Amino acid sequence: MNTKRNYLLRIIFVLTFFSIIWFLSGCQQVVSIDLNTANPRIVVEGNIKDQPGPYSVVLSTTGSYFDTTLATPPISHAQVSITDDLGNRDTLKEVISGTYQSSTLIGASGRTYTLSVKTDGKEYMATSSMPTKVFIDSLYALSRHGLDGESGYDIYVIFKDPPELGNYYRINARSSAVIPADSIDGRRYRLFTDKLTNGNVMTERIRAGRNVNVGDTITIELRSIDKATYDYFHTLSDILSSDRSPTSLSPANPNSNISGDALGYFAAYTIDSKQIVLR
Amino acid sequence: MKALVVVIMFLFLLYLSNSIAFTQAKQTMSGTVKNGETGEALIGAAVVVKELSGVGVVSNAYGFYSLTLSRGTYTILVQYLGFKTASDTIVLDRDRIENFNLFSQPIKIGEVVVSGERTNANVTSTEVSAKKLEIDEIKSIPVLLGEKDILKTIQLLPGIQSAGEGGTGFYARGGGIDQNLIVLDEAPVYNSSHLLGFLSVFNSDAIKDVKVITGGIPAEYGGRLSSVLDIRTNDGNDKEFGGTGGIGLLASRLTLEGPIVRDEGSFIVSGRRTYADLFLKLSKDTLINRASLYFYDLNAKANYSLGQKDRMFISGYFGRDNFNYPGTFGFNWGNTTGTLRWNHIFGDHLFSNTSFIISDYGYSNVVGSGTSEFQITSGIRDLNFKMDFQYFTNSQSTIKFGVNSVYHTFLPGTVTAGSTSFTNSLTIENRYALESSAYFSHELDIVSGIKINYGLRYSLFSLLGPGHIYSYDESGSVVDTATYRSRDFIKTYSNLEPRISANVLLNETSSIKASYTRTTQYLHLLSNSTTSNPSDLWVPSSNNVKPQLADQYDVGYFRNFNDNQFEASFELYYKNMQNLIDYKNGADFLLNQNVEALLLYGRGWSYGAELLVRKKFGQVTGWVGYTLSKTEEQFDQINNGQAFPARQDRTHDVSVVVIYDYNSVWNFSASWVYNTGNAVTFPSGGYRLEAENRWIPLYTERNGYRMPAYHRLDLSATWKLGPRSNLNFSLYNAYDRMNAYSINFRQDPNNLSKAQAVQTTFFPIIPSVTYNFNF
Repeated sequence: MNTKRNYLLRIIFVLTFFSIIWFLSGCQQVVSIDLNTANPRIVVEGNIKDQPGPYSVVLSTTGSYFDTTLATPPISHAQVSITDDLGNRDTLKEVISGTYQSSTLIGASGRTYTLSVKTDGKEYMATSSMPTKVFIDSLYALSRHGLDGESGYDIYVIFKDPPELGNYYRINARSSAVIPADSIDGRRYRLFTDKLTNGNVMTERIRAGRNVNVGDTITIELRSIDKATYDYFHTLSDILSSDRSPTSLSPANPNSNISGDALGYFAAYTIDSKQIVLR
Repeated sequence: MKALVVVIMFLFLLYLSNSIAFTQAKQTMSGTVKNGETGEALIGAAVVVKELSGVGVVSNAYGFYSLTLSRGTYTILVQYLGFKTASDTIVLDRDRIENFNLFSQPIKIGEVVVSGERTNANVTSTEVSAKKLEIDEIKSIPVLLGEKDILKTIQLLPGIQSAGEGGTGFYARGGGIDQNLIVLDEAPVYNSSHLLGFLSVFNSDAIKDVKVITGGIPAEYGGRLSSVLDIRTNDGNDKEFGGTGGIGLLASRLTLEGPIVRDEGSFIVSGRRTYADLFLKLSKDTLINRASLYFYDLNAKANYSLGQKDRMFISGYFGRDNFNYPGTFGFNWGNTTGTLRWNHIFGDHLFSNTSFIISDYGYSNVVGSGTSEFQITSGIRDLNFKMDFQYFTNSQSTIKFGVNSVYHTFLPGTVTAGSTSFTNSLTIENRYALESSAYFSHELDIVSGIKINYGLRYSLFSLLGPGHIYSYDESGSVVDTATYRSRDFIKTYSNLEPRISANVLLNETSSIKASYTRTTQYLHLLSNSTTSNPSDLWVPSSNNVKPQLADQYDVGYFRNFNDNQFEASFELYYKNMQNLIDYKNGADFLLNQNVEALLLYGRGWSYGAELLVRKKFGQVTGWVGYTLSKTEEQFDQINNGQAFPARQDRTHDVSVVVIYDYNSVWNFSASWVYNTGNAVTFPSGGYRLEAENRWIPLYTERNGYRMPAYHRLDLSATWKLGPRSNLNFSLYNAYDRMNAYSINFRQDPNNLSKAQAVQTTFFPIIPSVTYNFNF
């Protein structure tokens, strides 16, 4: 009887142990799903920085989600121009198929830019204002030992938020030794606002994972973006699977600042960057 | 004030009908039906007159009944499933108090069913889509990790669907997760889940009775659109001290109960706690051994009789979830409720219950450490006063009426910065509201075999000051700000909610029932997730947010077979919902003063057919349920204004439950569920962002696709080790179906020029074992 009890207890123990292991690990598998393909729509992507041009606008169309190469057709022969709020107008030239470049435009903080794209008998418009430039004060890095035993570095970015509410930021981190260079923390960039930190000296932490090592040079880029650009990238991150929780609400296309039924964004922003060597 | 007028009106009516009853030389017997072994009041016991076919009443939520008959001598039968029928000869020559004690009857193998002793209440009552679950059923049905859970068991009934695998959230007839009124001993519960939705806050050891209503909602319930889940807890054994408990994989439980004064009053205390975190203490890592990961809940209740006419109850619920990892995050949330109730019987016809209820739900979230540390707190508090009366006019007529007033305080969010933090402190303004209602309903046998229950509920909701109230334009920008002082009425809504149901008895074993109900909901839940989250935000109706309204029509055919051994019902319903809420893309409700600017308003409708065949007693019991339904919503700003299937739309939903009492040692049970996959939004195209170097999904229609069909078999075996303990083994997802919890679309990480769909399965086959005991 006693041995029978012991045997039973062992079974219970083993079952308990495996139940917990099972419970904690969601299982992922690639599945085949039939998707419709919607009628092609125009995709506009335009960036203006506070650094010397040329700036480019890229035009393409949508394709099927399971496209064989994930390369969608460019839109050629469009009329693309950018005007600033001082009345300066620059007509962009198509340098390679679907990519249009500026020639005279100089990006400057405080200016508002208007993009116009005419193609196929339709005009698409967007405006973006380049915010006040915010500079990185300093960077420092601390080594870290995580919950899962993984070690790495926490890189701290220190900067002063301007006194008025409504600053939007995006930080990109790149490593000299990591390919693709912009994913040292598994996320491509961080987006945040000064909603809870207005006017303060901010310390943003970038968690660099196991793919960084002593001696690597990390480049931190602080971009000041406008609200529309923040909204676009914020709603874009909601639909990208790496950030998506299994209990998320219905996904939708990112909130675009481009008129008509165009996809994509037009963004004017400032960039400040600094480097740090891990030791 | 209006409520008071209604009450006075009714007291007058009662006086009138009382005098009429008196002139007809009728006498009344009244009393309480109790479990003779434990003294627990029995809810829904049938008290019938053997000599008068079809004459009888049903005991109420406190076990009280009152039966008025012409003078004479009668044989009174008191029936309750699982109990021996009590029979007594009553000489009704004057008004009498007759209490009944019923004794349990273990169902024996090969038992001969005695005709006429089984209740056919489901056929004869005017309740249309109301289902009662027996606690024994809940305890036998297998569930995830062996933690018995009423919120999961009710999901096996037709018309009720699970809102997410393993979760406690549910949809009732196409209604949202927040449209269910969950009442625990008269107190509404705002967040009914532990562990981020995987377990409900209801400890099944403490529960006496569970009723779920999805159609024909009676006038005494209000405030939510789609369903009522009325949970009554045990009062405690008033005969002797005892306890029950259990040790499970996730949590352990212990219940103690006993008399305060034998047969006069009793108490019960029931607690539950998870213990996985105790193993963290064994770690040498100083961060890990200071971490916490647990929940607990505690139900405490005491009652005492002050003579034959009065009974006091005091009860409380305390529950808390706590996740804490030092220096990184801390998250804790929970409900606290306290209820003081007084039952008083006026004369022998009028039963009253007066309740004072306080309820508090809140969460606190600590994020970051050092310079980035801050704490977010948020919650909702209620002060609730409720009076309910039940007047047993005679055996053909019962009147219910009452008033209810709730003062709500909404605390949307406060940020408190750590001492060295660079975060600013911030408080989103509190909101205050007064929600009041008055109702009456009358259940009446019009002629023999035709019974109706008509009623009306009047609800009144006012958003109160102080506060700054904003108006918004199309784009969500503030166009106007109004400032209100304390106790100013900012916005008031009122609604008349007619409730009517009828039962036409075709014969002893079959009936046709129909109902119409209007329901109103003044509180709305905003959530960034498809499951229940502690940080979900309750918001009041306001100048921007209108109350949600629903109209439901329901017709059903009810039939019992084989001496009421089998119950069958077939129901059709149509429900129309107005002022439903959805969100603008990217809406973020956390610490946002302008959440109302992020909302979209639309309408919805749901219709369907539900079939239920249930075997109530015998060696094998269980049911088969099937629902065929369609639920759609329409919002001007979503899906180009086109109607789309709601997330809760499930075309087919099947559940099969079998419980087999094999012998005195073994009990087996199995449940199988099948449902059409959820309506979901998948991409209908893709495009590349060059500067991002990423492939982006393109969405064209809301909920235009379906998840794969969901099905699962659960098995359970209970081994009685002795009269006082048992071991329960269960197997969740016995044939290891890889059900999709979610499907995500992404670039193949190993080949960035390919896209793929990835399915996540959370719950493969999961065995568990639980040890239960009582003493």
